[in-house]
Amino acid sequence: MINELLLNFAEWLGSQDYSQMLLSGYYSYNWVEATHVLALMVSLGMLFIIDLRMLGLILPEMPASALAARLNRPMWIGFTIMIVTGLLLFYAKPVESTQSLWFRFKMILLVAAAANAFFFHRHLKEAEGKWDNERKAPKPLRNGAILSLSLWSLVVFMGRCIPYDWVDCDKTSNRTILWAAGCVYELQALETAESPLEESARLAVASVRESGSEQ
Amino acid sequence: MNEIFASYKRTIIVSAVLLLILVLELLNWRTAVYGGLFPLFEWLQRSTWLGYVATNYGSIYALVQAIHLLSMALLGGTILLMDLRLLNLSLKTMPVDVVVENAYRWFRFGLMGAVVSGIFLAAGVAEKVYYLPVFWAKMLALLGGSLFVIFFKIPLLRKAGTNSVWLIRVVAITSLMVWFTVAATGRWIGFVG
Repeated sequence: MINELLLNFAEWLGSQDYSQMLLSGYYSYNWVEATHVLALMVSLGMLFIIDLRMLGLILPEMPASALAARLNRPMWIGFTIMIVTGLLLFYAKPVESTQSLWFRFKMILLVAAAANAFFFHRHLKEAEGKWDNERKAPKPLRNGAILSLSLWSLVVFMGRCIPYDWVDCDKTSNRTILWAAGCVYELQALETAESPLEESARLAVASVRESGSEQ
Repeated sequence: MNEIFASYKRTIIVSAVLLLILVLELLNWRTAVYGGLFPLFEWLQRSTWLGYVATNYGSIYALVQAIHLLSMALLGGTILLMDLRLLNLSLKTMPVDVVVENAYRWFRFGLMGAVVSGIFLAAGVAEKVYYLPVFWAKMLALLGGSLFVIFFKIPLLRKAGTNSVWLIRVVAITSLMVWFTVAATGRWIGFVG
């Protein structure tokens, strides 16, 4: 059900003129993609520094909450660029993205990373002023930092897998993968082919047509 | 004479290097070296286990690409941290040398990760990238950027005594531009390849 809805939405997006324009222009698509990747240095670069500080591995001389507060702005500039270019990339290839297993994993991991960031900030607020001059952050913040580093690394890995066609809809007949990737038509085709009832109905329709054409 | 040499050491070295490059360029040295490098690229892709794994195992290749990107994020992040401080745009309350030393430590990890993963990635497509001008543009920018940071920027910032504010600004902006070029040309290899 959700797969059909997503695919319908993606097909509607993909049929728009601007989507096709963005995709067909060699420079337009590649510039957006390059910007998306290069913005990693600003968004994840700043995030890594904040996480490493929580673990006491960089700038231990500086109060961690102050460092997090200062680097928040460049980090968000980076993430804003990533979100805008990411939406544009999706807009250029809505159907391929919707039916990509890697893209789906990436979105789930992004939600997990966002949830982790939310709890991380709550812990940061709670512990404010209590540990500023210590080398390492309290345990919940350290765990949050390790989780953040792992989740974002996986997000990058999944993103990097998207252009590969290993599990594209036409490359597999595994039902679980087809369902997980949202390959609606391929699943329908599999069911039609495997259901004897459908098969006999199709034959019946064909014979009716044939006899009709004879008359 | 010695005094003059001591106080203008850096200027003299940089001028000598530029002059050397000019002379080698006039002697068509670059074309000769370029032609001689092809066997190395061929060997890397066809005769090493690096080339074998990189050409035959797509999933490992994708994983190393992700490691390359993560190293790039770390490298870019630390460069940005350093240069934002030098330009007085962020972390204004922290002493410059503390920020520079901390960022430089992780910059080296980022650079090492990017270079090691990059050699593997290049091994998989060595015979292709050899003919791409953008690949060589990236290699030159990478070489220039690394030499600039390791032998010029960091020694300059470590040197006792005050440097001119404008020199520091020029150095910070140069470093941002060089590393942006490295990353951008690197991404372009994937598009033209």
